[in-house]
Amino acid sequence: MKNNPYRLLGIGLTIAGAIFAPVAYFIINSIPLTAIALSSIMVGFTSIALASSRPQISPEASQLILETGMENIAALLEELGLNHKAIYLPSSMRDGNAQALIPLSGEIDVRRIKGKIPRRLIVRYGDNPGDMAIAVTAPGGTGLDKMEIKSGPTSSEIEQAVTYVLTGLLDLANSVEVRMSEKQLDIEVTGPKLHFENVRYYRCMGSPIASIVASIASEGIGKPLRIQEESYQKGKNLIRLEVLG
Amino acid sequence: MRIYNRYIVILLLASCLIDVLLAYAKQTDIAVYFTVSVIAYLIITVLFIYLSPRTRRTLSMVSIVFLAGFMVVVVLKVMEVLHLR
Repeated sequence: MKNNPYRLLGIGLTIAGAIFAPVAYFIINSIPLTAIALSSIMVGFTSIALASSRPQISPEASQLILETGMENIAALLEELGLNHKAIYLPSSMRDGNAQALIPLSGEIDVRRIKGKIPRRLIVRYGDNPGDMAIAVTAPGGTGLDKMEIKSGPTSSEIEQAVTYVLTGLLDLANSVEVRMSEKQLDIEVTGPKLHFENVRYYRCMGSPIASIVASIASEGIGKPLRIQEESYQKGKNLIRLEVLG
Repeated sequence: MRIYNRYIVILLLASCLIDVLLAYAKQTDIAVYFTVSVIAYLIITVLFIYLSPRTRRTLSMVSIVFLAGFMVVVVLKVMEVLHLR
């Protein structure tokens, strides 16, 4: 916390403003220069406040924890040889958090999902013996119920919730735009800090940003979703979600 | 640009703009500069609704301090108008 740039900026602006204000007012006799010194003190205080409200855990530590979780799921996918795309389920269809369902064989027909999926790693989602899948918590699947801005079924509600999480809470992107049609959601994430990589984990689950978006959107719509397509161009992450069921 | 950096940059730009415009308008009352700056600060802070809850709580405390200063200026001006000072 010692080398926090916001704290250094804040202390610098506040001290400079506090020294310059009496000089400008009493010696130079200039009101506009005194006002600039006052503004400097105000921004300085704000910057110090920002420094003290930043999370204790460093971005490097957060990234390490995220990568550890992803490595574990990737190892599981590799070991089981799973290649199919995951389906993101809302918490109403799961016994607990919103989770991702990766089929052990073939694609999941969401019409076959009966009742709530139990809280286990390997789950049966339908009546057929082959309706088996593994259920994992994707990035963004936890803590959705504790969010101040809740996701809803409209594109603007989803956009607000995703922006709140990606920009405000996690600082993973600059802005988010959501367009919605009947069976499809197009999400444009500007300035993403994590990118898509062509590895098995990303092909199944999507990038961490796409996972977070899919979890929030699925919770808002209350229906299962699949990441249909994900691309990165001109500093934007374009994610296409397919609404199932 | 990170949301915190954007917030600080917008605050700095708004403060500079307000000071330059008021100086250009030959405003000589320091209270006017202060009150306009506080109003701009409050508006910008409210517009950044996507800041984390912890940050917004801290910024609310700073806003209260600035608002108190703003109220002191307003009370002094009212007393001046009413010839109580």
